[in-house]
Amino acid sequence: MVGKDLDRSVAEGNDIVIDICDLRKSYRLGDIEVPILHGIDLCVKKGEFVAIMGPSGSGKSTLMNMIGCLDRPTSGKVVLMGKDTLAISDNELAELRGFEIGFVFQSFNLIPRLSAYENVLLPTYSNSRKGHNSPQRAKDLLKLVGLDDRMDHRPTELSGGQRQRVAIARSLINEPSLILADEPTGNLDSKTSEEILGIFSELHRNGCTIVMITHDPEMEKYVDRVVHIKDGYIKNN
Amino acid sequence: MDIRQALVIALGSIRSAKLRSALTMLGIIIGVAAVVANVSLGTSFNQYFTDELGSLGSNFIIIYSQDVNIFYDAQLEVIRNTPGVVGASAFNQQTAAVTYMSATRQIDVQGVSADAQEISNLPVASGSFLTDKDRYVAVLGKEVAEEKFGRDVPVKNYIDITFRRNDGTTVTQKFRVKGVLEGEDNTFVQGGPDRDVAIYIPIRTMNEILGVEDYSGFSAKTASAESVRPVSEEVNRRLARNLGVPARDIDNEDAKPYRIFNQADILEQLDMLSNSLTILITIIALVALLVGSIGIMNIMLVTVTERTKEIGLLKSLGYTRSDILTLFMLESIVVGVIGGILGTLLGMAGSFAVETYLDIPRVFPVYLIFLGFIISVIVGLIAGVYPASRAASLDPVEALRHE
Ligand SMILES: Nc1ncnc2c1ncn2[C@@H]1O[C@H](COP(=O)(O)OP(=O)(O)O)[C@@H](O)[C@H]1O
Ligand SMILES: [Mg+2]
Repeated sequence: MVGKDLDRSVAEGNDIVIDICDLRKSYRLGDIEVPILHGIDLCVKKGEFVAIMGPSGSGKSTLMNMIGCLDRPTSGKVVLMGKDTLAISDNELAELRGFEIGFVFQSFNLIPRLSAYENVLLPTYSNSRKGHNSPQRAKDLLKLVGLDDRMDHRPTELSGGQRQRVAIARSLINEPSLILADEPTGNLDSKTSEEILGIFSELHRNGCTIVMITHDPEMEKYVDRVVHIKDGYIKNN
Repeated sequence: MDIRQALVIALGSIRSAKLRSALTMLGIIIGVAAVVANVSLGTSFNQYFTDELGSLGSNFIIIYSQDVNIFYDAQLEVIRNTPGVVGASAFNQQTAAVTYMSATRQIDVQGVSADAQEISNLPVASGSFLTDKDRYVAVLGKEVAEEKFGRDVPVKNYIDITFRRNDGTTVTQKFRVKGVLEGEDNTFVQGGPDRDVAIYIPIRTMNEILGVEDYSGFSAKTASAESVRPVSEEVNRRLARNLGVPARDIDNEDAKPYRIFNQADILEQLDMLSNSLTILITIIALVALLVGSIGIMNIMLVTVTERTKEIGLLKSLGYTRSDILTLFMLESIVVGVIGGILGTLLGMAGSFAVETYLDIPRVFPVYLIFLGFIISVIVGLIAGVYPASRAASLDPVEALRHE
């Protein structure tokens, strides 16, 4: 049922979810500019499942943060759902993050004092879609990730895998056009990792657009496409 | 962002960090309590002074001669005839040796007329006050009747008073005790003599014994409290003219052979005194509040730094800068309001206790409750918003990287 909602993005006209053009990012370290990304071009279509792979420190997270509007590029263009993210206001940017992007972090980033259910509901306090029954949806999503009996648990009372499930449910609460996951299984053992990846693959089957950073070569068989990054360049596309 | 949901989040965050919230609140509580207690105490002192002066005799004017042979019956008539004066009485004073049952004490003897009872507020506890027909009778202050001689001096007993005359000779005269005055509550707000340790005798008898015709002063009463000041000015004018003081010296204390006081002037001086006292303690309280606020700000800065990662997360979930400010502001306001309530209660209790201990009126101006509230909310806001607005301006990724 949640999956059916997610088909919406496929049904709508525009087919390109992410359009990145000559994206560059450098950090200032004292007086020196250290370039991290040297002109990335990337295009992700609706319904695609893209894995980003590459050695540690190659700039994967930097790229992901820019797609998720958490960071600003030094130059280049990031267009999400037809919107130029560098041209819009801070409030529009916040709305984009709230409605169109579901971010899943390696370190879960749940708020410890809130229950699983409240954590899932958290984004809706700021942005909630018209016509959504958010509390019901939060329960449905927790059921979807297999936590129907853990709704009132605090994150500290959950295992790593369970925490990541809560985070995935949270990323889906506002029915985003795009799921971004930065090493979602990086802190999990291999068996739990497999379960989590299973959830993403299931979401993908239901029509979700997903970009995921991973080190797991096993993932290649789930995804539509793998993008390899090395030293700030895309190796093959 | 919906305020109710924001409130739920804010309350949750306050509850989850009890020690921090308690410390923050403590600063506000102490500051607000200090302000509330001090202002309340100041108000009570004011009330106390006013009450005390009221008990001294209502609407009185008192005039002291600065020299002998200035005030006679003619001057008393000038005062009596001034419009607005409803009663006037002359008095004389001498510290004389008073003997009762072979014990002799130096006591302040006041010669007064019958209307002094009304003008100077001299209620009797036993016996009765002097009349203008009385000759060798005396009315005793409470302390004179009960303590001075180591034994009670009851009504109808006799005392001997030895006066010194201007020519150096002494005269001793026997007086019958006609009445004993009620004790005074307090003596430090005094316009006239301390009635507890004085003996009152008829002024005509006193002047006769001393062989003089002048008076050391007059006391007068006006129709209403409002008219005290203008009537007192008119009395001053008429008296000055009568005594040949030039009009330009009317307000020059050194050029006139007398001093004139009225209740309004004394009240005003006391008011000024108690106001400057109130201002002083309020400033001290405000400094306490300021120090408390800086403490709160410090704690809030640390908290926000601790919670920068949380702010980053909220931003990544789509919260705007103003959403985050709303959350932190609500948190500060809730802490401020709770601190304000407790601080106001503590301040009330504190001032109540001190007022009870000092036995002064327990006045608590209601506006202080609002004042305490407003102060605490403002302090909470200022202390909470600045750090939060700093954190909310960070890029989400920067805030998230924070550990
Ligand atoms: N805020 C920053 N300031 C300076 N250097 C940074 C910052 N963030 C990341 N880097 C550097 O950028 C490079 C890429 O980092 P990152 O994108 O996190 O790599 P990864 O591919 O492992 O996710 C690393 O060398 C890292 O040290
Ligand atoms: Mg990374």
